[in-house]
Amino acid sequence: MPFVIRCLIAVALLAAAPAAAQQGVSDTEIVLGGSNSFSGPLAFTGEQATKFGVDLYVRVVNDAGGINGRKIRTVFYDDGYRPQDAVANTRKLVEQDGIFAVIAPQGTPPVVATLDYLGQNKVPLLFPFQGSPIVRGHRYVFSGMTLYDRQSKMMIDYLVGPRKYKTFAAIYQDDEYGKAFLTAFEKDLARHNLKLTATEPVKRGATDVSAQVAKLQAAKPQVTFLVLTPGAGAQTLKERQKIGWTDTLMVSSGPLTDERYLALAGDAAEGVEGLSLWPDPVTSDLAGMKAYREAMQKYFPKNEPNRYSLSGYFAAMLFTEGAKRAGRGLTRENLITSLEGIKGWDSGILPPITIGSDHETQRQGFWVKVDKGRFQQLTEWLKSD
Amino acid sequence: MRVRAALAGLMLILLVWPWMAPRYFVFLASLVLVNAVVAIGLNLLSGYTNQLSFGHAGFLAIGAYTAALLTLHAPAIPVVATLMLAGLVTAIVGLAFGVPCLRLSGLYLAMATLAFGFVIVEAILNLGALTRGADGLSVPVARLGAWPLASDTARYYLALAVTVVLVAGAMNLTRSRVGRAFLAIRESEIAAQASGVPVALYKTLAFGVSAFYTGVAGGLFAFLVGFLSPDAFDVFLSVDFVVMIILGGLGSVPGSIVGAAVVTVLNDALAAFQNYRPLIFGAILIACMLFMPGGITGAVRALARRVTAPSGGRSCPSSSAA
Repeated sequence: MPFVIRCLIAVALLAAAPAAAQQGVSDTEIVLGGSNSFSGPLAFTGEQATKFGVDLYVRVVNDAGGINGRKIRTVFYDDGYRPQDAVANTRKLVEQDGIFAVIAPQGTPPVVATLDYLGQNKVPLLFPFQGSPIVRGHRYVFSGMTLYDRQSKMMIDYLVGPRKYKTFAAIYQDDEYGKAFLTAFEKDLARHNLKLTATEPVKRGATDVSAQVAKLQAAKPQVTFLVLTPGAGAQTLKERQKIGWTDTLMVSSGPLTDERYLALAGDAAEGVEGLSLWPDPVTSDLAGMKAYREAMQKYFPKNEPNRYSLSGYFAAMLFTEGAKRAGRGLTRENLITSLEGIKGWDSGILPPITIGSDHETQRQGFWVKVDKGRFQQLTEWLKSD
Repeated sequence: MRVRAALAGLMLILLVWPWMAPRYFVFLASLVLVNAVVAIGLNLLSGYTNQLSFGHAGFLAIGAYTAALLTLHAPAIPVVATLMLAGLVTAIVGLAFGVPCLRLSGLYLAMATLAFGFVIVEAILNLGALTRGADGLSVPVARLGAWPLASDTARYYLALAVTVVLVAGAMNLTRSRVGRAFLAIRESEIAAQASGVPVALYKTLAFGVSAFYTGVAGGLFAFLVGFLSPDAFDVFLSVDFVVMIILGGLGSVPGSIVGAAVVTVLNDALAAFQNYRPLIFGAILIACMLFMPGGITGAVRALARRVTAPSGGRSCPSSSAA
């Protein structure tokens, strides 16, 4: 067959495609996908959230017969945290792979770069692993991680309220993650007529934080917030231990409060407190957490349970719940309606989930303190409303 | 004659591409065109005057942000003028940067350009009021008069038109007195100076022209991707550009285009290999350098010579590789 004719047929087929059923949903399968970091600064997080997170729950669901008779298939591409690669990957997923929805992409710049495109093409963007409030107010977006302004509110209200602290400082990563937290801290402290007494930025990827720690010590805050990544966060704790700065309470942000940061900091992490967004992936005895660890043991016995894979696992779980409720005639529009209708749903992992028209799926955290190298829970789930 | 026919055929394919290829490949082709313009610009600097730059992501960023901010604050300016201005602003920065770099060569120049790339990213982060810093900047749709270039096809044709003009410009430049001066500088600065080539002037000029090309490409990049953030312009992007010209062939305009196409498509195709992407990419590069030390154009030339050689395939393979 001549090339031109083949091309014409291809074009005709493409033109006819939208008239058929919902893209990404066939009689036997639902295709989900996402662009994520498999290389670059957040490669570990990205791999855990997708291959050992989303795909872990997908295996559980598929082995149990799928969603209303359809199996889930996932496609993930590497963007290395570069926005332009995330745009290219997302377009490929939508236009070539024909995905139904984007699930669990990571990082504010790559995710935000795809917002307009996905909105124009009416493709749901489900549970991105990022906390900037910039994703609020989009019809096709459901946020994942508890957004930074909610985290800040829980942290400040708890520390100023029950704990009665008065002076605060922060060491933060000099990018959108750090600055979003800083803005929220200032706003929440202002409600209590307080303000940050000192703030010190750290460049992304920097490992020497001695100058910042020394300056913060001179400001004598009762509480010092750490809004950093695991490497720089652990370095800050070690530096504090080295110079013998003991009269401040170190408090880590939600994204930082994880096992990796603990392992890197070693005994310098003793006594550090923080906001935990997830139950302890290794020790929690909640029913959902036990099921998560059993699934990990069954499908990926070599992979340690951790918060990142848990977040991806939870994202797939929430999608499954929404898709089940949407029924056999699953479309993007009725997925959105059914997700919006979730009220008091018990996942066995987080407190009952209610998603309203604001599309925020998570709004909780609880307080933890490091005791003998593990996070010990100090409070029940805190409220951010 | 055969070359002309091939060129006409290629041009025809490029013109009808949006009507033949699926939508995603129209976008990908636009990306190839943008990268081709950067690669040509970099090749004019590195391939022709032997000044290696690891900071072209910085120039791309200047062009991209200039175009985005112009479109945002002065939407009346037609897109062609916006792209020209993006190129000019970048060229001015390139000239200003090129003058102090005259004293540097080899590794030291590579270091300085590497630092330039970092400085630009820091500047974008710290000029938050203008660039919106780490939050990123949404780029409005480009307009050509009353006609918004909102579709993939429209953006593709814009990129194609600009690329064709810039390729023709580069071809002419390299065959002119300026191009010969560039090559003379590459071969030996002292010899060029002795033959009456004002070395300092031409080396600075090379920086300016290279920056202009990259700045225009930056403008196209902004409209194509639709969102700018400092994370887009990391050092690995600069390295990708260097890879494009080495892979395609140093000192060759067609080589730059081929190199840009190969690297862009490869990057795209390898995204599915997730964490193996850098590994596979690296392995392919090492293999290319081992078996095609002169880049793709060098290998094609050697192959053509072997095919047209009177003794056919019987000639010793090592003689044609030299």
